[in-house]
Amino acid sequence: MITVKDLVKRHGANEILRGISLEVKRGDVDAVIGPSGGGKSTFLRCVNGLEPFQGGKVRVGDLVLTPKTSPRADAKLLEGVRRKVGFVFQQFNLFPHLTVLENLIEAPTQVLRKPREEAVEQAKKLLDRVGLMSRVDARPRDLSGGQQQRVAIARALVMQPEAILFDEPTSALDPVMAGEVLSLMADLARDGQTMIVVTHSMSFARSVATNVHVFAGGLDVESGPPEKVFGNPVHETTRAFLKQAA
Amino acid sequence: MANGRRPARRAVAGLLLALLCPRPSAADAMADVLKEGKLRWGADQEGGGPYVFPRDDDPGVVTGFEVDLAARLGEYLKVRPEFTQAQWDKLPDMLRTSKVDVVINGYELTPERAETMEPTVPYYVYALQLMARKDDAAIASWEDLKKPRNGEKLRIGVLTGSAAEAYTTAFCGDLCVAVPYDGNTDSMREVETRKLHATVQDTPIASFYAPRFPQLKAVGDPVERGYYVMYVRKGEAALLRAVNEAIILMGRNGDLERVYRRYGIWDAQQAELASIGESGRFFGYANAVAAKVEKNVMPEEETVQSGARKRGWAVVAEYGSMLVKSAGLTVVLSFLSFPLAVLLGLLIAVGRLYGPGWVRVPLAGYVEFLRGTPLMLQLYFVFFFLPEVGIVIPAFWTGVLGLAINYSAYESEIYRAGLQAIPGGQMEAALSLGMSRTLALRRIVVPQAFRIVIPPVVNDFIALFKDTSVCSVVTLVELTKRFSVLSMSTQATIEMMAMTALLYLAMSYPMSLAAQRVEKKLGLEARA
Repeated sequence: MITVKDLVKRHGANEILRGISLEVKRGDVDAVIGPSGGGKSTFLRCVNGLEPFQGGKVRVGDLVLTPKTSPRADAKLLEGVRRKVGFVFQQFNLFPHLTVLENLIEAPTQVLRKPREEAVEQAKKLLDRVGLMSRVDARPRDLSGGQQQRVAIARALVMQPEAILFDEPTSALDPVMAGEVLSLMADLARDGQTMIVVTHSMSFARSVATNVHVFAGGLDVESGPPEKVFGNPVHETTRAFLKQAA
Repeated sequence: MANGRRPARRAVAGLLLALLCPRPSAADAMADVLKEGKLRWGADQEGGGPYVFPRDDDPGVVTGFEVDLAARLGEYLKVRPEFTQAQWDKLPDMLRTSKVDVVINGYELTPERAETMEPTVPYYVYALQLMARKDDAAIASWEDLKKPRNGEKLRIGVLTGSAAEAYTTAFCGDLCVAVPYDGNTDSMREVETRKLHATVQDTPIASFYAPRFPQLKAVGDPVERGYYVMYVRKGEAALLRAVNEAIILMGRNGDLERVYRRYGIWDAQQAELASIGESGRFFGYANAVAAKVEKNVMPEEETVQSGARKRGWAVVAEYGSMLVKSAGLTVVLSFLSFPLAVLLGLLIAVGRLYGPGWVRVPLAGYVEFLRGTPLMLQLYFVFFFLPEVGIVIPAFWTGVLGLAINYSAYESEIYRAGLQAIPGGQMEAALSLGMSRTLALRRIVVPQAFRIVIPPVVNDFIALFKDTSVCSVVTLVELTKRFSVLSMSTQATIEMMAMTALLYLAMSYPMSLAAQRVEKKLGLEARA
């Protein structure tokens, strides 16, 4: 489904990603953990083309992003990639001038050109699923952080993406609200939603992920099934990080 | 003559002229005049009596000795005269760009003007008249001006940039002071109220306004004789000859005398008009003398007098409807130009922030150029110089476009700030949903920016509202220009000023209120 090969990202002389390769199969949940500044978020942003990169390539289905991909000239390609992979931000990034429902139907009606009634029906189903049916007409500012993030997840889901990228979705939330969001994500995983999740929640990575990747210094230092990475870490960095995170 | 001439503006205009080297028009104006059946003559009704000014009983219509002359001229040429309003100092530009066929507005015969325009036979001999208060015995001659009073030099009011100013300044030297005024009769009023010791006026003004200022007296004989002539475009031989013929015939037939007597400005000096005409130095003279002379066929007409100065709120009641009508033009200009400015400004801001490099640089230049140059010059350029390259835009649309383009520069900067205030995450969230940049801007970023910029944009709308007054430079008579015209012709300046200010306020304040409501409604939603 998503294949990343030798991904290199630089900011001037500063190398943020130094050759990352990984593959995510349909139905997989790949968790990316590791110390801050390890390149986790940057990696995620490269996958859906929010950031250009300098080496390697990203393949999403049959669409390929390369260092030559230009935000302007290859806009159609980028839009194609982003329709296949949704994105959930740490800061939610809901549209403050729209209601909850309008946030959800904006892309289906404007991008997919779906009839409004159909989009509304679908959006309401999803709001029901994330437990926010009662807040259909609320403005984002009237919601708690956890509610906002659940709306953001529903907003990504409404486009029926093949995969969803989560960029530290619970880092801006208190533990109770983080719990709400994580259990929703676990729910999605059970239903077979393909995901890449950058997270600080070790319990989520341990119990939900198919594969765990430990990013440090721009490299995928260690990866494998959670029982292996958590139970028997080989790499020194992984051990140090897990010890600190525990 | 009798009008505010601003040296700075003339200097700038001269500079533009020199830069652009306008070509003289090659068309035959006389043929056009005959074909159209009308003669468009240019003048500024703000100049006041007795030249061209609003009628007392119907301020929407102009009267004055030059209006009568134009009417007679039309009869001689067998065409309909059509008055065209323009700012006095812009009349040569009106002529050059074929917006009028002839200028008739107290333009003196000067060598400088004769170089760029074709002067006709003089139609009036003017001179400079010194005036002082009747109870001021100390001023009985020009020489008395040079005697300081209580150790202070005497102050003499003159019209800015006029022949009177030049003469008085030269005459006084170090011994007295020429004080320039913009208005025709301002300095006469100031003498009456003792803020000035004396004033120097063109003879037609001194004669015509004498009844309105009964405390003033003429001191000595008029000096510095000069000629009012009409001007046509350079090279228009046929039209020049026809107008010359008409003026000479008007003199021989007694039309000139009759018109001037009607306004109380006929004096001994006008006898010279005949000898100038008869001396035969002028183009078209031969035809004129060959024509049949029909003396005194016109019916006698009643005399037009300046009458007493009008004061009080009755003036407002009488002229208020004129001001309201002109306020209508102000409103139409604003409401057509501002939405255009906002739209243009938005496109520019988006182009500068999100466009490719080759778009950003010229847009930045556009903004800097338009912000850095006066609106008046921009309008002037569009109206009087674009015709040189074949682009002719009517006055009204020049006003609308000029305001829209000028304000688009300011609006774009407001929008740029507004767009930059929207967090980058909004664009990223929109893109990550598969939106194109254009769609994301249109649906997500711009609507949020719009809510932020409402207060400064409304601020600019109110500013533009008042800036419409600059459109008088392209012959539009909007509220401010109408105020100038009426206050000049009635002298009820304070009353007119109050009414005008009230009208502006009555129009702009509801807009502020409406904006506050919109802001309240939308502004709250924007806060996340």
